Formats: sequence, C-alpha cells, structure tokens
Amino acid sequence: MIPANKSDTLVSVRDLGVSFRIDRTNRIEAVKRISFDIPANSTVALVGESGSGKSVTALAILGLLPKENSTIDPDGKILYRERNLLELTQAEMRRLRGGDISMIFQEPMSSLNPLFAVGFQLAEVLTEHVGLRGRQARKRAVELLQEVGIPDPEAKYDAYPFQLSGGQQQRVMIAMAIACEPKLLIADEPTTALDVTIQKQILELIANVQKRRRMSVLFITHDLAVVGEIADHVVVMRDGMIREQGPVKQIFEAPRDSYTQALMLCRPQLGRRPKRLPVIDDFLDSSHPPAVADRSRGLRGGEPIVLEARHLGKSFYSRRGLFGQQEFKAVKDVSFKLAKGKTLGLVGESGSGKTTVGLTLVRLHEASSGQVIFGGKDLLAMPAHEAMQYKRRIQIVFQNPYSSLNPRFTVGEILMEPMTIHKLGSERQDRRDMVHALLEKVGLSESAFFKYPHEFSGGQRQRIAIARCLTMKPDVLICDESVSALDVSVQAQVLNLLQDLQDEFGMSYIFISHDLAVVKYMADEIMVMSEGEIVEIADSDEIYLNPRHPYTKTLLSAIPRGWNAARRTAAETGGESHSTVP
Amino acid sequence: MFEYIVRRLWQTIPTLLGVVLLVFFLFTWVGGDPAYLLAGKISNPEQIENIRRQLGVDQPIHAQLWIFIKQIATGDFGVSWATNEQVSDIFLTRLGPSLTVLVPLLVVDTVLAIAAAMLVAYVRGSVTDRVVMITCTVGQSISILVYIIVFQYLLAYRLGWFPVQGWGNGFAENLLTYSLLPIIVGVIVSLAPDTRLYRTFFLDEINQDYVRTARAKGLSETRVIWVHVMRNASIPIITNVMIQLPGLLVGAFLIERFFSIPGIGREVLLAVERSDFPVIKAVTIYVAIATMITNLLADLLYKAVDPRVQLK
Amino acid sequence: MKRAAIGTSIHIESPGLWTLAWKRFRQDRVGLVSLNIVAFFVILMAASWTGLIASDWSKEVGVSNAPPTLLGPRVASTSAERAPPARSRASRIDDRSEERVVDPLADILADIRGERPTGSGGTPIVDPLADVLAEIRAESERASAAETRVSTLIFGGDKWGRDVLAKAIKGTETSLFVGLSAAALAALLGTLFGALAGYFGRWIDDFFNWFYSVFTSIPYLLLILSIAAVLNQKGTITVVLILGLTGWTGIFRLVRAEYMKHRVREYVQAADAIGASHLRRMFVHIFPNVSHVVLVQLSLHVVLFIKSEVVLSFLGFGVGVDTVSWGSMLNEAQTELILGYWWQLAAATTAMALLVTAFGLSTDAFRDALDPKLK
Repeated sequence: MIPANKSDTLVSVRDLGVSFRIDRTNRIEAVKRISFDIPANSTVALVGESGSGKSVTALAILGLLPKENSTIDPDGKILYRERNLLELTQAEMRRLRGGDISMIFQEPMSSLNPLFAVGFQLAEVLTEHVGLRGRQARKRAVELLQEVGIPDPEAKYDAYPFQLSGGQQQRVMIAMAIACEPKLLIADEPTTALDVTIQKQILELIANVQKRRRMSVLFITHDLAVVGEIADHVVVMRDGMIREQGPVKQIFEAPRDSYTQALMLCRPQLGRRPKRLPVIDDFLDSSHPPAVADRSRGLRGGEPIVLEARHLGKSFYSRRGLFGQQEFKAVKDVSFKLAKGKTLGLVGESGSGKTTVGLTLVRLHEASSGQVIFGGKDLLAMPAHEAMQYKRRIQIVFQNPYSSLNPRFTVGEILMEPMTIHKLGSERQDRRDMVHALLEKVGLSESAFFKYPHEFSGGQRQRIAIARCLTMKPDVLICDESVSALDVSVQAQVLNLLQDLQDEFGMSYIFISHDLAVVKYMADEIMVMSEGEIVEIADSDEIYLNPRHPYTKTLLSAIPRGWNAARRTAAETGGESHSTVP
Repeated sequence: MFEYIVRRLWQTIPTLLGVVLLVFFLFTWVGGDPAYLLAGKISNPEQIENIRRQLGVDQPIHAQLWIFIKQIATGDFGVSWATNEQVSDIFLTRLGPSLTVLVPLLVVDTVLAIAAAMLVAYVRGSVTDRVVMITCTVGQSISILVYIIVFQYLLAYRLGWFPVQGWGNGFAENLLTYSLLPIIVGVIVSLAPDTRLYRTFFLDEINQDYVRTARAKGLSETRVIWVHVMRNASIPIITNVMIQLPGLLVGAFLIERFFSIPGIGREVLLAVERSDFPVIKAVTIYVAIATMITNLLADLLYKAVDPRVQLK
Repeated sequence: MKRAAIGTSIHIESPGLWTLAWKRFRQDRVGLVSLNIVAFFVILMAASWTGLIASDWSKEVGVSNAPPTLLGPRVASTSAERAPPARSRASRIDDRSEERVVDPLADILADIRGERPTGSGGTPIVDPLADVLAEIRAESERASAAETRVSTLIFGGDKWGRDVLAKAIKGTETSLFVGLSAAALAALLGTLFGALAGYFGRWIDDFFNWFYSVFTSIPYLLLILSIAAVLNQKGTITVVLILGLTGWTGIFRLVRAEYMKHRVREYVQAADAIGASHLRRMFVHIFPNVSHVVLVQLSLHVVLFIKSEVVLSFLGFGVGVDTVSWGSMLNEAQTELILGYWWQLAAATTAMALLVTAFGLSTDAFRDALDPKLK
C-alpha cells in the first residue's frame, strides 16, 4: 500500500514492530511489523479491540513507550516528512512532541496534572514551543480555550482540572494539543470515558479543528460507529497485525476481511433486531454468516408482573462540619413494573442514578423511601433474615468481570457458595452436578471447576458471574452495565447467552446500560433516567421511533450513526476523501 | 479560614480527652501507688506522703482524674519527684537544646533525602539506583546505637574533630560546636529510610497519566520531574515531615543522651529511670497537644499545595 | 495452596494467586537468598531456645576480653591480662576507677548506664538484685577457680571472658523472638481493628479512628518509654507486650484502607447479593485479598520491633538482666570499644545487620511478588 503521491503523505509507518518484556524470560509482541500511511489533511481511524496494539502504535509514533520494558524492532521505520522518528535524538523528538505531533488521551481527568490550573498547563506548551511568556501566553491560551468551546475562558484559565466536567477537561486537552499548530493529532480513545451526548460534542470539535487547521488526525477507537462518522481512512487491527486498510467507503461498503465484516455485524444495530447476534467465529469459520430471523420485543399487555417498584427514593448524605449533613438525592420517586419473562431496559448517562436503582432493588443499598413489591410483599420493609429467601430470587450481574469474582476462590467455590448459603441441593455431589450442568449451560467446560478467575478472559468471567446467579434460580436478573466493559465481539456472545437463558428459564431482566444500541436490542420496554428521575417509559421500538421527552430526543440524536447515507453523500460531494490513496 | 481552624481545634477535643484518659489510666491504674513505686527511691516518708496527697491517691478515681485535668488546664504539673524542680520549668529549659539539634537535622535530612530520592527515581532501574537502594537497605539495618557509638568513638574520641560531648551557653557555640556531630549522625541515620520512602513517592507519580501528557507536550524531562512530579509528590512528603515534627520535641533522645545534650529527650530518659511520673506525664500531654497542632498545620499546608483540598 | 480439594473426581490442580506469587518470588535471586538467611536465623533461634546450642553462653571460658582467634592472643605485657573480674557492682566500680586515668568518657558512660547515683533528690539506691548477684558471683568464682581459661575465642570474648559468638546466638534468640511475637501481636490487633473499622464504617470506624488518633498523638518511642516506666518490670514478655500493644497503628491504618477499598468492590457486593453474612464477607471473601498487605506489614514490623527492642534493652528497659540481647551486648560493647575491644560490637552489629538486611530485602521481594497486578 505505497501511496502514489508522496507529497501527500504526512506519516508513513513501515514494518513497525514493538515487543514488551513481561518477566525475565518472556516477551510479548504487541505490534507485529505493521505498515500504514497517514495522508496529510485527513483523518485516519485505527480500529481494534483491546490487545490489538492500536494504542501501542500511537505511543510508538510519539516516542512515549516506557523505556524500561519495551523494545522497538530496529528494522521498522516511522517516517515523518522524510525523517525516521525512531532515529531522532531525545531533544529532537521533544521538539516534535507537542509541536508538530500532539496527542490526547482516554481519561482527561487523570491526563491533566491535578495540582496546576488548566491555564498554566496550556501556557506551558506555548512557552516550550513558541516561546510565549507571561501575558502573551495567557492571552493566547484564553483564545485557545475559546476556540475549543470552553464557556467563560478568561475565568476558566485559572480553574483546576477537578473544577471542570469531563467534557471540558477533554476540551482543555484538545486546546493543549492544537496550541502549536500540529500537523498530526493523535487521539487515543478520546471519547470512550465520556457520556454519549458529550462524545458527540467532542467528535464534532475534533472534526472542526481538523478541517480548520488543515491537519491530520490519527483516531484510535474500538467503536466502528464513531469511525464511520469521522474517518477518511480506516486501518483495522487485531492481535498486533493489520487485518485490512482502505478508504472509509470501501471498508464500510465492501469489507474484504472476515474480521472487519464480523466487527461490523456483531454490534447491535439500531434498525434491526436479529434473534441472535452474529459472533466473530461465524465469520472466521465460513465466509457467509447464517441469516437469522428477527426477534420481536415489546409488551403485549396483560403479562404477569413479577416485581414492582413504587416511589423508590435513595439519598446519600455527606458530612458537613461537625454535625451537619448534606443530602444528595440519587434516585427520586422511581416507579415501574417488571413483567415476567420480559426485559426492562434502563438507560441514562453517568450520574443519572440508574445503577443506584439496581443496587437498591437487591438491597445492596438501603432505600430511603418507597416500596419494592415482590412475591406480594414489600421487599424493602422486611427484616434482613426474612429478606434472605427473597434476595435469592433477585440476582445481579455487575459491570466489571475482573472485580466481580473473588480472585482467591476457584470457580467451583464461587459457584458452590450460594448453594451452601441457601442450602440448595441436598448434598455436595448433588451441588457439584448442578454446577457442572451450569458451566456447560454458560458455555464453559467442566475443567473450569478447579480453575481460578485469573485464568479466564473477560467474557468467560462474565459467564461465570452469570452462572453464579443461575445457581440460585432467580426470577429476576439485574444486569448492571454487564457487557459495557467487554469488546464488541465478546459482548455479542454474552448478549446471545443472556437471551438464550431468558428463552429457556423465562427470567425477567432489568438491563441497565449507557449504551442505547445494546439496550434497544435487549429490551422490551425502556425507561430513560436523568438526574435521578424517570423521564420516559415506553416500548423499546416506540421510544426509538417516537421519543417524546426532549432529553430522550437529545440522547437518541447523540448516538453515532456510523457510516450512513448522509455521510456518504457529504463525502462524495464535499470531495474531502483522498482518492490518491488506493 | 479562621472558622475552619476553630472548628478543627474543637474536633481535637475528643482525641485530647482520649490521650488524657490513656495517660491517666497508665499512670494511675497500671502505675499503681507512688508510695510503693518510690520505696527505695525516696527514703523520706514525708515527701512520699506529700506526693500521695497531691495526687489524691486516697480519693475516688474520678477525683484523681479531676486533679489531673486541672493540672493539664493550668499547665502546673507540680514538681519533679526526683529533683523537686517545677515540671513546667524543666520543659521550658530543655526545649532550646533539643530544637537546636533537631531543627537543622530535620531540614538537612529532608533536603538531602528529596534530592537523593529524585536522582534515583530519575535513573530508576539503573545500576546507580540499585546500588543506592541496597546501600540504604544495609544502612537502615544497622542500629542507630552502632552509628552513635562508632561515630563518637572515631570522629570525636580518636580523631578529635568534634567535642566528644557537652553543651555550652551560647546558641552559636552550641550549634556550631556541640551540635555538629549529633546532627551528622542523625542525618546519616534518617537519610536511608527517607530516601527509600521518597523514592517510592516519586515513582508512584512518575507512572501517572499526567506525566505522559507532560511528555507528550514536549516538556523537558527536568521540567516534567521538577515541576509536575515534584508538586504531586510533595503531598506525601509533607505528610511524612509533619509526622516527624512532634517527635522533635521529645528529641532523638539517644543522641541527646550520648552527646550529653540537656534536651527533653534526655530528661525523659532520666525521668523513666527514676519513675519520675510528673515529668513523663507532662511531656506526654504536651507532645500530644503539639501533635494535634502539627496535624492542623499539615492540613493548612495541603491546602496551599493541593487545590482539591477544601477546608470545610 | 491447595484449596480445591472438594469432591472425588480427578482434576488438574490449578495455580492459585499464592502459588503464582511464590513462583515469581523464586525468580528473584536476591529475595531467595535473603529468605534463606532469615530462615537460618529462625533455625538458630529455635536451636538456641531448645538449648541445642549456646546454652552455655554464660560460662566464662576465656580470659577477660579474649581477642578473636584470627588476631592471636594478646601480648602478655598489656594490662588486660589480669584475672577476669568477678561480676559484681563493686568490682565494676573498681574497674572504672582504673579506667578513668585513660578514659575521658567514663563519666558519660557511667551516666549512660545509669549507674551514678541520681540527681539532687539523691538518696542511696538500694539494689534489689544484690542478693542474686552475690549468689551468681559466688557460683562463678567457684566455677572460674576450677577452670583454665583459653587465651583466644573464635569471635573473641567479653569482659567476663564469655564467648561472644555464643552471646550473639543467644541475643539472636531474644531479639528475633521479641520481633516475631510482637509483630504477630501488632498484626493481629491492627488487622482486627482495621477490618472492623474499614468494613463497617460509620460509628465503629469513628471509634477506632479515635482510638488510633489517641495512640498516634503520642510519639511511638515516648509511648513505649512511658509504658516501660509505669510497668517498671523487665522481661522478654513485657517487651513483647509493650511493642505489640502500641505498634498496631500503622497496620490498622493500611488494613482499614484496604477494607474500605474492597468493601465496595463488586465481588463483595456479589457476595452480599448471594446472601453471605458480614463475618463471611469480612474474613472469607475480603481477608484473603488483603492478606498480602498484612504479610508485608508483618515483616516490616518484625524489623521495626527488633530495632526497638535493641534500643530498649540498651537503655535497660528491655529484657531482664539474666537475658542477653543485641541491645545489652551493644551496651557492654560501648565501654569495651574505648578500651580497644571492638569484637563484641562487631558481633552484635553484624548479626543484627545481616538479619535485618535479609528481612528487608525479602520483604521487598515479597511485595514485588505479591503485587496483585494479575487481577
């Protein structure tokens, strides 16, 4: 893939290989001799799941890999304007960093120094590369803050990172990155930690800045929908290798590589609801995935209700002074009904109180007010010992499969424990048989019984967590962001598993997520939360087609639409696509 | 700000009360009747009877506690059982020598430890780093007693570079003549653990995301370390230094004792040997109060360094 | 760690986190050597405790201040060739009057050893041990009369002609025993308090925090000295109690922080959701996950307490007069050094430095190996 016109190429990466030392004897190859180009004045998306080597590639370009344990293959080259970046001295590299090439990161909060005002951190770049000092630097910094859309930039100059919202922090990072007119901006998952509405703003900002400054952007992400919106060229990586690269139109309309095809289809789409999501193996094994029928979701009315929340409220108190307290209402007057065998989706942005609702239902948080009617009784009013038998029937699957399993327990111990506590199964052998059956049900082999959680991948761990809930034969399963931490390909497998289990056991789900596409796919009915309140409840198809509340509308319009008709026409007429690259 | 200080002082009352109870419990219940303790130390039965009356030994416990609290409130702990000196006088006259040695010691130690820690953190993983760390580990493993004995023997007794021990009258004389060797020994003893500790503080910060950002901005390594890392690492360093401050009042009593410095530490040792309870009680209470004040100072310092700290 | 021994079916044993940590530890050569040295000292302690070795440490086998074998016997003309003095207060004072001619430090030394009659409250000190000492003296005189003394000992001898090597071994027993048991006591208290405070929070946390701030308001050594002053009795067990009962605060703070961190972790919430009781969550679920912190702290505190014991014994507030510890050896060595007899100082210092360094290095290696990045 050598570009036809050399003057148009800003950076070319040739045979880049990076390996890391794990311990005295072992190394892993994180990036295996990859080559790609970043044309001038365009956006290149580097797409891949975790462990694909995409971030390592970015850090290698900037020379920021940790020196202690990383090695770059000496045969490789990173050419920037005819100079090999890998051969530059420390001082030369330093002049490039923040000047010609700059970078923004995933976590804006931790990426800014917490102890310095944002203006100071911004002016620092100007002093270092442009030589601006004092009042001049301040003036320029305020202009930059203005450019990236920080309200009241003059005052925010003296603000500290913790006083800004996540979106504003990322804007400051962008201001810092564009301060010295860079030729290349590397953005490493810049919106992953942000809410969907903020993500939309930041993506627009990056696109605007790219056009206005006529620079190139290397956009690193796992999210193909974002890629479809922002990129001109796409590079798909997996396991340190490039699977496919090309113009965005080609990648989206005629992907050649089976992995690329799989990535596009295994993420739930807003428009379609197949009975089962395709998974990576479907594509890697055969070139044509099986066609599946669609599933219909929604309430018909008249389904029996298993659980009902009435005027649920939850307040947190923080101490003020010696005796004072400050109340924070995380959940306000939330009421809903959960039908048997159905899924209730719960969406909202961070801080909306959706997780608190979930935890309150299983009494992991004590509710401040309201009732939860389950099995004809108020679950919240029961004394703890009486609640035990009901507690068993409502179970919860958490977000992070790496912290939700006790690392010192074997899988067998993890799965046997609930049965021992609730005296399920008559004797040990009986329980063991049940555990074996459950392991098979969630798609793990019997040998998992004696293994420890650290020996499993994230997706497998989430299966174990689901199996732990199933040991208690619950009526209601609460999935609190249960697939959010997983890669898209693994996410599809876990979603399929959850649907299969629902079909088989008739469990009701409360599916909590910030990801609207996933909730839309899984839920019969959707509840939208904002600032502790329910703003809208409706059938899932209905809510996507005809949102009534303004907040729901904002939320829906912020979802990245990916490669769609609108973008295609814009690309064709606007002529921003670079046909020089094959 | 003022309001905050008042409230903080108010909040220390339960702790102070706890310390008073602890000390009272120790010296009254565990310590037992002074008559029994002092038998053989003070032969004069009248004096012992006097002491018993002062403490209210024959009265009920709460009355004894009340006597103790009154002593603390008025700052009048009576007289030393051993020397008949006013306890408050002992404390005041011994404070000067202790501080003359310990303030320079703390300053020199902190400055050197920060510099050394920064250096080895900067070249982390190198041979220099490893050599310094192993030297520190070995240096730390030798008892402070050995350092004092050997240094006093070699530098003062054999080579005669410093006076073996003693204390003069003028501040300059004390600082420049008598305090030098004690300070050197003190610095050598505390440098090893502090360097190791501060190195971990720096290493914790060096791996943070904001350091990566600072590098991505093209800042020089010197600026990254001395501006960005230093400010963040200074928070735990302040904590560590402030923890050591109240200890200054008691002094490095071993050093004071070996070098015959008439400081509080030496006085405490003498008091412990002589079961001179009024002195020990007074010092314990004073130092506890000083600790609470330094804690408050530390919080005010954090506020100066860390904008996230809110004085509420 | 074999925790999966349930049931009867054949299974492949899987390495748990402890096994993996041990594997990593074994790759660390420095750590492994250090651990072996520590183990050697522990064996030494056990052997000395059961009386297998060094049980005859108090026997006066050599001439007074017998030099190490390597140096050869002292030339006859030196003053030290005189007969070993009997161990009594009277003869020590005699000794000093001889030394005073050459020794400008004598006054301080006397002061340091706390032997001079004290202060202006000056009443004659009645020595409660006078009888015991007299008995010992009589016995040792009988013994020394019957024996011929060697002129050199392998690591030298002390003033009474006792073997410094045997004393160092006996001192190891005392110091290591005090360090280990005081650290165990402190770790037990610190862990228990920290677990309760960190797990339950609210008023229980307030209470233990108050308790903690009371103890930390008084500098550690001052607190120890105050307690030593009121207890007014020496002995190994006393030292263990003093150090253990006052030394839990650091462990408490760390364990509390760990429990606060783990309490809100999802695996603990999951345990709550399946109905596990508080005790089960605290000790079956959380404790194994914070135990590495306790282990590292335990070994740091062993070192801290060994050092404190040495200082206490040196000052005479530590172990009893009939027990050797490195601290009491250093106390004797201090006088000897001025007279040029450096071997007791060297022996005590080397033994202590070797053990403490080995302990320190193996703690570092433990910490690296246990660092649960795996999760």
